[in-house]
Amino acid sequence: MKKLRVTVEGKVYEVLVEVLDEGQESAAPAARPAPAASPIATPASPAPATTPAPAAPVASAGDIISPLAGRVVSIDVQVGQAVASGAQVATVEAMKMNTYIYATAAGKVTAILAKPGDAVEEGAPLLRLG
Amino acid sequence: MPISAELLSKLEAKRRVALLGGGEDKIATRHAKGLMTARERLLALFEPGTFMEFGLHAQHACHDFGMAGKPMPGDGVVTGVGYVDGRPVAAFSQDFTVGGGALGRIHSKKICDLMEYAMQAGMPVIGINDSGGARIQEGDDSLSGYGQVFFRNVLLSGVVPQISIIAGPCAGGAAYSPALTDFIIMTRKNAQMFICGPEVIKASTGQAVTMDQIGSADAHASVSGNIHFIAEDEAHALELSRKLFSFLPSNNVMDPPHKPVQTLALQPDPGMNDLVPEDPKAPLDVLKVIGRLVDDGDFLEVQKEFARNLVVGFGRMQGIVTGIIANQPAVKAGTLDIDSSDKGARFIRFCNIFNIPIVTLVDVPGFMPGLAQERGGIIRHGAKMLFAYAAATVPKITVIMRKAYGGAYLAMCSRDMGADLVFAWPSAEIAVMGAEGAVRVLFKREIAGAADPKAREAELAAEYREKFASPYEAAGKAMITDIIEPSQTRAIVSLALRNTLSKRETRPPKKHGNIPL
Repeated sequence: MKKLRVTVEGKVYEVLVEVLDEGQESAAPAARPAPAASPIATPASPAPATTPAPAAPVASAGDIISPLAGRVVSIDVQVGQAVASGAQVATVEAMKMNTYIYATAAGKVTAILAKPGDAVEEGAPLLRLG
Repeated sequence: MPISAELLSKLEAKRRVALLGGGEDKIATRHAKGLMTARERLLALFEPGTFMEFGLHAQHACHDFGMAGKPMPGDGVVTGVGYVDGRPVAAFSQDFTVGGGALGRIHSKKICDLMEYAMQAGMPVIGINDSGGARIQEGDDSLSGYGQVFFRNVLLSGVVPQISIIAGPCAGGAAYSPALTDFIIMTRKNAQMFICGPEVIKASTGQAVTMDQIGSADAHASVSGNIHFIAEDEAHALELSRKLFSFLPSNNVMDPPHKPVQTLALQPDPGMNDLVPEDPKAPLDVLKVIGRLVDDGDFLEVQKEFARNLVVGFGRMQGIVTGIIANQPAVKAGTLDIDSSDKGARFIRFCNIFNIPIVTLVDVPGFMPGLAQERGGIIRHGAKMLFAYAAATVPKITVIMRKAYGGAYLAMCSRDMGADLVFAWPSAEIAVMGAEGAVRVLFKREIAGAADPKAREAELAAEYREKFASPYEAAGKAMITDIIEPSQTRAIVSLALRNTLSKRETRPPKKHGNIPL
């Protein structure tokens, strides 16, 4: 898999592309979808026009995720900070309401994965606890 | 001449054997695992000395596969009637020590007979499920046995409350009986409920899943929404069923056990004013509001872990039993979505069956937008809330706390959906949509033509908010009964409930409506 940065009409997409060799085409070519050769047609969910964003990040276990789609208002902790279970760690705004995000377990913040102003999907990782 | 002593001692002997179920050893194994036996569970459920057992001497009816002559006391289930909360309740408890509690023809007959008795007598049924499933040796008889039970679950549904406790395995077809009942309580450990287990799923589809993912109390409480309560253990499950039952009438022609206080307390509760954030963007924890509304803060929340953006449950307000439905702004901004609509609608319909008045607390910014919601059928699921409220003929009191926008405002028991009385707090925002969205539609040209469109939009939004996002427009049109301070809510709603209890609504006869499912 190759990672490419593609600019289309001024918008930048970072995409993952699988380059298929001639030798592997012994299987029925009709089965391969035509756009496989074109990087533009296989973007990994290109982000909306507001930010030149990478493909939507996937949360791993131990991450604190957003329970709903919205915009990050604040991240209330720093990398290296110890948090207790149930402590408030972030605020996300949706439907003109602030939703407070709480730590589901005690731990130390190892990474901040979103920043104020970011648009996040339901389930998007906000920060990582170690 | 007295009855023959031999006959009496024979009865005594047979009783002793039957009461041991699968025998001393099997009982010891249960106890070693920290589990109660079937009969112990019933004795713990009922008030002491009130348990009357039915069918103690029943035997199984299987003659194939080497079963003939094999003893199966009670055919694996204990059935009977006892007293809970001072009222008779029918209950069955599957006996895992007898053939793994598997269901055969007589086992099913005992349960069905009990259910028919309960229906005629107008008493609730509590079922304790703990069974390996169908008794394969009885083939079609087992399958039909389940069918007979399901049919009666449906006959009883809407007539008497039916509560299921899952305290052991409840697999395949057996899971459908609890699913047809009104409430399911499942123990956190030692209980599994599923249609196809991990082995069957792996064999049929290749997918590797764990029992924890599909059959545990946790999975059912928070993800599938199949159950209503998680109990820490059997004793807790029985306690929960007693607690639940304390809010319910024995049958549908009785009123719930209201205990109206002699003198209604009408003084204000300033603590409620303190709960409402000044910033409209800050979330309100509706559980705190409910805690201040119900007597002694005693609220039995139903499906606590599922669709947490809507809170439903039972409480009393100055003695009157109430079903409470409330948006929870602290979760998903309090929006209505597929799961919360299902949860709310079922609860409303249950309250309607058993004459339980409904109090609705509203703080909803709308239905949850999103691809998953739309393609998941939010239209037909959201419609369930509208249907359930409109079809309910019990007293319906609505309190609009803060936001009440668009279709979601209607779906949360608006006046139009048949609410008898609607009260709004001064913080209420009753509108077709939020100010920003509204001005973008109404003043599209003006904003586009303005020197500074963003500023003009903000200005217009502020004006709109001032005029429309408040309760005064709706009140001006006599759409709401009154605007009250949060501190007055408990007093006013208690009084409103007391006044509306005698409500009797008549509607044209029909078999039943066609609620979207």
